[in-house]
Amino acid sequence: MSNQHRHARDDTAAHERRNKEVSGWSHCRKRGADGCVRSNGEADSTNNSDRRGHRSSLPRPESFTTPESEGPVSRIRDWGDEVEADEMRTSVRRDIQRYRRRILAGDFIQRERKTSSGSSDSQDSRDSPAAGDIETDEGVLMRRQKQINYGKNTLAYDRYVKEVPKHLRQPGVHPRTPNKFKKYSRRSWDQQIKLWKVKLHAWDPPAQEGSDLQPVEGIDLGEIMDLDFDFAEDPETEIQYPKSNNAASSLHEVSCGGTPSKVMKIDQLSMA
Amino acid sequence: MEDSSIQEYKIQSFDMETQTLLKTALKDPGSVDLEKVSNVIVDQSLKNQVFSREAGRISFTIVQAETRQSGGNLFRRNLLNRLQQEFTAREETRRRSVQEWVCYVSFICNIFDYVKVNNMPMVALVHPVYDCLFRLAQPDALKNEEEVDCLVLQLHRIGEQLEALNAQRMSELFFLLRDAILLLDGLSSLGRLLLLEVLEVRASGWTLSDPAKKYYYSEVTD
Repeated sequence: MSNQHRHARDDTAAHERRNKEVSGWSHCRKRGADGCVRSNGEADSTNNSDRRGHRSSLPRPESFTTPESEGPVSRIRDWGDEVEADEMRTSVRRDIQRYRRRILAGDFIQRERKTSSGSSDSQDSRDSPAAGDIETDEGVLMRRQKQINYGKNTLAYDRYVKEVPKHLRQPGVHPRTPNKFKKYSRRSWDQQIKLWKVKLHAWDPPAQEGSDLQPVEGIDLGEIMDLDFDFAEDPETEIQYPKSNNAASSLHEVSCGGTPSKVMKIDQLSMA
Repeated sequence: MEDSSIQEYKIQSFDMETQTLLKTALKDPGSVDLEKVSNVIVDQSLKNQVFSREAGRISFTIVQAETRQSGGNLFRRNLLNRLQQEFTAREETRRRSVQEWVCYVSFICNIFDYVKVNNMPMVALVHPVYDCLFRLAQPDALKNEEEVDCLVLQLHRIGEQLEALNAQRMSELFFLLRDAILLLDGLSSLGRLLLLEVLEVRASGWTLSDPAKKYYYSEVTD
């Protein structure tokens, strides 16, 4: 069923493209030079029929038509996907607001106390970005948030958070979620995520080998060799790679960013 | 808790097995097949007039329970996919059974009303919901009292939210309604009254003023 629709939609899109090329209006789909709404024959009316006074001859779901305001849709999505994407987008927007407020408040407080000794505030120990210098690209933020979610959606993270309250965290020893609002290169960010998730494995539930009593075991040198050291993590901490029967699979999972660990663990537990 | 949740979610007419499944889903979503649960809810909504108007609440509670317990989204995702499938087939459904079609519209509108995401309605549903209402506003549908009834009920419940999300389509919908009031032969007098009332409700910002209440409801025994 969806194949048919995709086909029909491609035809429509192709038809529109052809029309555009012929008339030379690449930037303006709806109107001609005289300001009147240009009729593209079927293409436009098919796209419009779902949205303007329903012509029930073509009851195609809205997700299959090209919405005018947002431009071309690159691929057909189902409602499940759309809602999840919306949810992430609104969460990210809300996070930006919150973060901006936080660093603005932080800047103010920093100015108030000139010397800040022993402060573990993230804004002191690492240069806090100026309010204008944060990552605001929604696509980037959403991708980063997704990667963070994969890491947080694990049993290891749950156990970590329960075991070590935030104010007792020691830099270097305890993994710290990378800050998605700071400007980093793609490579740098991906490496930070990788390392963070590897560190979290120290809190894997004891049913697996590699319990949290022995975080320092063999090191996979191949993994370390091409690491990027230009981010603000203490290099010493990289030695703490838990290596277990699962290291290969967990590192593999880390590098593909595929199945969230929680799902994997349930599978493994159920197979035990 | 047991009895009140049955009452609250309007599932008292379901068989015991289904009731148990739903109650377990509410308390411990991880222990049930959430895909099955969502299918049960959709299927029941399409058959059961009363439930179709109230299914949103139990659905949202299960969504929240799943998120709280495992951070997952399986239930919501499957619910939406079923909704989408039924939406694609709605014309066929209407031809087969107007009752089922009406149940579907009530259901999707109720989901829109209750299942919020970050405190906002699911934007992905706005156009589909409008599409359904537009269908109900067609001449052939307005001749059926049950479809008119469904239309005005949904407008009362979610009209304000819908208009806030897309005012243009709401205007267009009301063009159709006004035309129908003035010109549609097959519109029953009750139908005409229902449409007039909703017209007035919208005109006064989606509430009903006291004089209007008196006018429309003084003869009605509820």
